[in-house]
Amino acid sequence: NNSSQLSSLPLQILLYVNGIYYIFYFLATLAMIIYKSQVFSYPDDLLAPDLAVLFLMGILEVPRLYLGFKGNLTEAEAPLGLSLGLTVGSVVLCVYLLLWQTYVLWADVLLNAVLLSTYGLESGLKVTAIAAFVS
Amino acid sequence: PADTRDAARVRSAPAPLTDVARLCVCDLLVAQCDVNCCCDPDCSAEDFSLFTACSVPVVTGDSQLCNQKAAVYSLDVEANPPERIFKLIDQVNPSIFCIHATNYKQALYLKSPEIPTPENFDQLLEKFGGASFRAEPDSWDLDTDAQNPSEANETSRYEFGVPVQTEDAFLRLPSPVVTSWCSDANPAGFLVNQATKCIRSVSVEKCDSIQALSMLFYINSSILASVFQVDITVQSIAVQSLDGMRTLLSSSDVLRLPMVLDDLCINAVLGVNYHITHTDTGEIIEAAAAFVLGAISKEALSIEQSFEISFTQANTQPVLLSGNPGYVVGLPVRAGFQPQGYPSPAAFLIAALALSSNKHSQLTILQSTSTQDCLAAQGARAPVLFGYNMISGCKLRITAAMKCQPLAQTLLDVLKGQSFPEYVASFGNSQAQDVLDWVPITQLHISEQMISHTLQSPCQIPVSLGIEVKWTKYGSLVNPQARIVNVTATVTTTTLKQPPSGRERIIPITSSVVFTDISSPAEPSYKAWPTINIKLPFDFFYPFV
Repeated sequence: NNSSQLSSLPLQILLYVNGIYYIFYFLATLAMIIYKSQVFSYPDDLLAPDLAVLFLMGILEVPRLYLGFKGNLTEAEAPLGLSLGLTVGSVVLCVYLLLWQTYVLWADVLLNAVLLSTYGLESGLKVTAIAAFVS
Repeated sequence: PADTRDAARVRSAPAPLTDVARLCVCDLLVAQCDVNCCCDPDCSAEDFSLFTACSVPVVTGDSQLCNQKAAVYSLDVEANPPERIFKLIDQVNPSIFCIHATNYKQALYLKSPEIPTPENFDQLLEKFGGASFRAEPDSWDLDTDAQNPSEANETSRYEFGVPVQTEDAFLRLPSPVVTSWCSDANPAGFLVNQATKCIRSVSVEKCDSIQALSMLFYINSSILASVFQVDITVQSIAVQSLDGMRTLLSSSDVLRLPMVLDDLCINAVLGVNYHITHTDTGEIIEAAAAFVLGAISKEALSIEQSFEISFTQANTQPVLLSGNPGYVVGLPVRAGFQPQGYPSPAAFLIAALALSSNKHSQLTILQSTSTQDCLAAQGARAPVLFGYNMISGCKLRITAAMKCQPLAQTLLDVLKGQSFPEYVASFGNSQAQDVLDWVPITQLHISEQMISHTLQSPCQIPVSLGIEVKWTKYGSLVNPQARIVNVTATVTTTTLKQPPSGRERIIPITSSVVFTDISSPAEPSYKAWPTINIKLPFDFFYPFV
């Protein structure tokens, strides 16, 4: 009987999995950037933007996930909406790491593709949840 | 055409070749087939049939790429004749860390270097002109300007032996190299006085086109010295006629160039004498050239040219040193006089003039002549050269009519010369003012007394003069300088035995110079043992003291 419960269970599961996956993603991408800088020719003025994007994405991820949890559990649409906005920023940064990084390894492609699909699914579920909360 | 080619080159360097089908590492010979090189485009099918293996089987780009084209070359030895197989395949790298894409072009290909242009040349030179360079420009040393003034001083000052630089190259002193033919590539060294003679091939018809025969060739470039350039002026021109007689021209302003007149080529340079004046810090301030021009006749195929260069210090009289400071073996021993009326050696200050480059103030000994007659060969003297032991002599013909006393005086003149010096310079560069640098000549008389039963002392005539020069090594062990310590002139006299009338006797007269090295062996010196210096403080025993 989930007629009185508006919170979305799939969204909650997805947000939880996203959090765990993101920790793995962040560490793996950081390790690969370090590997690339040792093995390939990676000048400093190209290494800096890549690292900045990665850390910015990490900084964005924390409030994004927190707001998502909070909004879904309290059935409030404002935090969910804010989380959706932050998701758009994260998607942009993820696309940068997928396409415009200095070296895009095959592992990079896999990780970023998985993250992008997670973001996409999440966004869809959030929109549905907001629609459910509002109405 | 050269300018447009340069302009086209400036715009871009050729793009790097990245197509694997056209890259071939083993193609070394241009337009020729390299052996066992399957990718060589110069090879035909017959060449391929002779190969045994392919030295380069695969041509790929970076092996880290995930997906790339590869050119594979192989030889099909089964076929008759063997043929080369070329395949273009897609190579896949199965590693998970293969490069899928890169946004950094230089990662996979070498960077095309920047083409130097007049605009970026200085910046490129600053970046890459040193002995080593880094990728980042070195911005730490901002005081490059501080180094430049000292460098400017270094180039203007010449050191001994450094070639004298002119506008285009060096001041040339043509000299013979290996053979006697003139070579124009001999630079004149600073403070190196040289005199050379060499032969140059000429032809009278083309004599105005041969550069080395014209005065301009020797004076057109100006010498680089300090901040300005020193032009070579014409000091004097002497014209030598065909029979060898020279006349000095009164005006040396007009430049006389060679030209063909009748069957002769006149105004051809036969000799150049450069005189360079310099300061005591090594800067050249003046340069002059004295020419000897002559005429070349039609039959002459070659002429002999002589060149000389001498350096004098400004505001000084040229005094030839015999070493600096120690005597150099082979240079004349410098000697001088104490002027008459000045008993004290301190008067040498005024006597400086007596020690100028007057050859008669050198230490000289009798020079043997072909006639070997002492009384006939008057005045031929040879300078005593440091380190060279010499002996010379002549034969004296004594007749009955000769008187002893005038004969003794004549012989003394013959042995000692007109002006036998009183002092000898201790060092090769001793100045006249430094009294203590001059060694007095000790004169000794030894008489070969024959046991005579007569009481009166018979007349003695000098028969030999022996000069013994004692010298020592002075200064450091690695660069010892020769220093004259003692000079002794010993005149040996003997009794004149008059021959009976009608007969004559011949006695030999000798003079010799001997150099003896009396240097004491070098003493080793050791460093002093370190001492322990312990001193109690002044107020150690306070309050008892």
